Amino acid sequence: MNYRRELSVALAIVVLGVVLALARPAFFSAENLNDLFLANMAVLVCAVGATLVILVGEIDIAVGSTFAFCSVAAGVVATSGLPLPVAALTACVAGVVVGAVDGALVAFAGIPSIVVTLAAMIGVRDALRWATQGAWIENLPASFQWLGLTQGSYPMAMAALLLVLIVSATWLMSETAAGRAVYATGSNRRAATLVGLDPALVVFAVFAIAGLLAGLGALINAARFNQIPSNGGIGLEMKAIAAVVVGGTAISGGRGTMLGTVLGVVLLGAIGPALTFMGVSAYWERALHGAIILTAVAIDALRARRAVPTVTAARAAAVSA
Amino acid sequence: MQALRRGEWVLLAALAGEIALFALIAEQFLTLGNFFEVMRLSVELGLLAAAMTPIIITGGIDLSIGAMLGLSAVVFGAASRDWQLPAVAAAALALAVGGAGGALNALLIARVGIPPLIVTLGSLSLFRGLAEGLTQGAVNYSGYSPRFLQLGQGYQWGVVPAQLPLFVLVFAAYVVLLHQSAIGRQLYAIGFTAAGSRYAGVPVARRVGLLYFLSGLVASLAAIVYVAHLGQARADAGAGYELDAITAVVLGGASVFGGRGSLWGTLLGLFAITVLQNGLHLAALPSELVGLLTATLLVTTIAMGASASARRDAARATAGFGVLSLEDEVSLRNTHVAVICAAIVAGALIVSGTNVWLVRSLERTGGPAASAAARPAGGPIVVAMMPKAKGDPYFVSCRAGAEEAARELGVELIWDGPTSLDAAKQNELVENWITRKVNVIAVAVENRAAISSVLRKARERGIKVLTWDADAEANARDYFVNQATAEGIANTLTDEAARLLGGKGDFAIITGALSAANQNEWIAFIRKRLAARYPDLKLATIRPSDDDRDKAFAETQTILRVNPTVKLMMAISAPAVPGSAEAVRQAGRTDVKVIGLSLPNINKPYVHGGVVQTVVLWNTRDLGYLTIHAGALLANGQLGASATTLQAGRLGNIEVRASEIILGPPLMFTKANIDNFDF
Repeated sequence: MNYRRELSVALAIVVLGVVLALARPAFFSAENLNDLFLANMAVLVCAVGATLVILVGEIDIAVGSTFAFCSVAAGVVATSGLPLPVAALTACVAGVVVGAVDGALVAFAGIPSIVVTLAAMIGVRDALRWATQGAWIENLPASFQWLGLTQGSYPMAMAALLLVLIVSATWLMSETAAGRAVYATGSNRRAATLVGLDPALVVFAVFAIAGLLAGLGALINAARFNQIPSNGGIGLEMKAIAAVVVGGTAISGGRGTMLGTVLGVVLLGAIGPALTFMGVSAYWERALHGAIILTAVAIDALRARRAVPTVTAARAAAVSA
Repeated sequence: MQALRRGEWVLLAALAGEIALFALIAEQFLTLGNFFEVMRLSVELGLLAAAMTPIIITGGIDLSIGAMLGLSAVVFGAASRDWQLPAVAAAALALAVGGAGGALNALLIARVGIPPLIVTLGSLSLFRGLAEGLTQGAVNYSGYSPRFLQLGQGYQWGVVPAQLPLFVLVFAAYVVLLHQSAIGRQLYAIGFTAAGSRYAGVPVARRVGLLYFLSGLVASLAAIVYVAHLGQARADAGAGYELDAITAVVLGGASVFGGRGSLWGTLLGLFAITVLQNGLHLAALPSELVGLLTATLLVTTIAMGASASARRDAARATAGFGVLSLEDEVSLRNTHVAVICAAIVAGALIVSGTNVWLVRSLERTGGPAASAAARPAGGPIVVAMMPKAKGDPYFVSCRAGAEEAARELGVELIWDGPTSLDAAKQNELVENWITRKVNVIAVAVENRAAISSVLRKARERGIKVLTWDADAEANARDYFVNQATAEGIANTLTDEAARLLGGKGDFAIITGALSAANQNEWIAFIRKRLAARYPDLKLATIRPSDDDRDKAFAETQTILRVNPTVKLMMAISAPAVPGSAEAVRQAGRTDVKVIGLSLPNINKPYVHGGVVQTVVLWNTRDLGYLTIHAGALLANGQLGASATTLQAGRLGNIEVRASEIILGPPLMFTKANIDNFDF
């Protein structure tokens, strides 16, 4: 497998890291890294789901709305007095349900995923707004925060959970038939059918898993607080997709790795706080953020052009992507 | 292309269904005036959707058009106000910016070869960020010449919205480009297979680049119309428009994988969305339904129209023979003829329907159903009340008070507003309420300059106008229900900060969105108070929370690290106070105090826990209550221009000062009293 794109992102992270280490060593304090990890772990979990969806050549822009729906669902169950595991399960099941409905419409009804998830994104968000009238879930049981753990042990547990998730996802994608089915479906659906796969089933399963991961992300994020806002996760889908794509996954499907996604989340998650540490005014931060991403991808693309023998082929492929 | 036609027919049927439904349930829906209002509201979005259509047909996407609209609007505003350029020169400059931005996208996508999604995601941040940087979030360019505003608010030949011909012109140009020219054929071919087109001799990069360049240009044209329409230019102009435009295009049957779609479909999709919004507002149904119904519409029309063909196309494309045949071309033309005929028929139906409606409503006057159609004197007063954003708990608690007063007085209350902060949506709703002929309109103003002209229009039509929470221009409303002045809030917060810090030290502000008007006004007064009274109190930094609890949390964590001298966090957006407080609590920084402007309920745990010292707010429930009482008095003619007090139910005597109804001093929630409030 070719890790060129992943290398580019890793290089960008190293450059950022060196600049910070020289100018603002406080950025690398254990507390700050801990905060950044907690702030971005939900993005990472959702981005793993988004990677799968993009790998099969589809897109899911309902992640943010699903995320909000799942956190509110978990909160409602938790406040009703049911035990914590039930609430945790509810978040995941709610995610699977949304994901499965989306997946069924995409895979079996043949509606383009952008249409389905655009509809889910608008519909779920507005339904939630209507149902909650904007009210937050308050009076959560004390054990909800940190899911029965403590503030100190929670990040450790989450780091372990994420490690298991990433490692097993990487293993599944590269070593098992299921993973190969995902790549095959994303590369060439017709060829996948001809070799005996059922692309519709693969797509459906991938959406359901992405939903599950959105629910999991919502749960572990909600557990950092003692209240749950009803409008969480706004813009999360874009964060997740941006991380996946910056991490080298082809938006047309069939090519990309979990490692790339992890690197993408790290890079995009670190830029914002890094700019704050460097003392950039909040008013110019977004412009700089955009400029950095554009520069990074442009340099990467130019490098790729030199690496690939036929320029026109690369360009044509990029345009068709 | 059988499916294309089928998809468009399904959509047309849906549109006709919408029109028929709203004609029955929404007042004043089927009138010529309303027809043109819908047209006016569709122009900016229509321009963006027209530019988006060929891009999606080539298999690309442009997420940066909404941000480009914002950047061009700001450049236009700066050029005409700060640099005193005439409108034409300012417009030329804005178009140049749009062209440059479009060219940047074109360069990176077509020449360098980066996927459009990544490029435009990056340029979205870049353009929006430049607009924020240029205005420092706060500047709102307004005060344009009436002649210029005529372009966005006036009429041509008495009935046609002035910007409509411009839209028709641009749309026609796009139709020629996409459907009548050789270039258009090449665009479809590129969408089917870019590599194949290249081998067939199509200059793929140049064609694709042209589209992104044009879309930047069209976005800045839409910006000029937007500024003329709303009379304001702010950094957040056009936020989220890219998604609406994509929705319209996709609803119109275009395939996001490229190769399929048409401008006529986009036009139908656009009207399906805008008619839905307009009809729901006129029928006084909640705005949340817009999202739900748009979602349903998307899924059902696309499923019915295109599902089978989508599979066939996908198979065809992957199999590598995605070619347009001659039949496709012929049926494409037939489709257009059919759609145009249908549109003409629909237009005729609307006109004749208007007459039928007029006759019917005349007949119904005096009947038992009269209160719904044309309200004779003596029927219940209808007060239409608008919050800045419906989902916000702050406004939800205002609503509770408003409903209480409406029950007390037997007033019919219509409560609706944008689902998130959106000045353009507010204007749209007021326009709809004018059409619906309510008795009183009460608005919590998001943008003063933008809403004032439409509120004046309401007053001209004999509707009583109140503003509450935030004011419009003084001659645009009868009274302003003033909960607390910006200066009062800023002074209370600053004094409280000074008290807690003993008059000296560093503090930081977490605001809402960087361009939020209210917050920026408070910050200006806070700075003034600091300069005048507290020379030793230093405002270390201002960070945005975008009204998101989690973002306020993360920003506070970073501030505490980067500025260790900060001993007090002042959060001036309702969700930011608990976010900031949780960050301080988790950091274990008991030396840092948190105060802010927020609601009592979500802050109770932190106030009791000693993390948050003071929450400043007024009684929001009473604010809604008072607004409805004032509205009822106004509608009954019991509140004259020279009144100095009014009676507001359980609130008793309320002071009226120079056309402002004063609720009273701000409340300070502390450990001692916070449990007495529940909102």
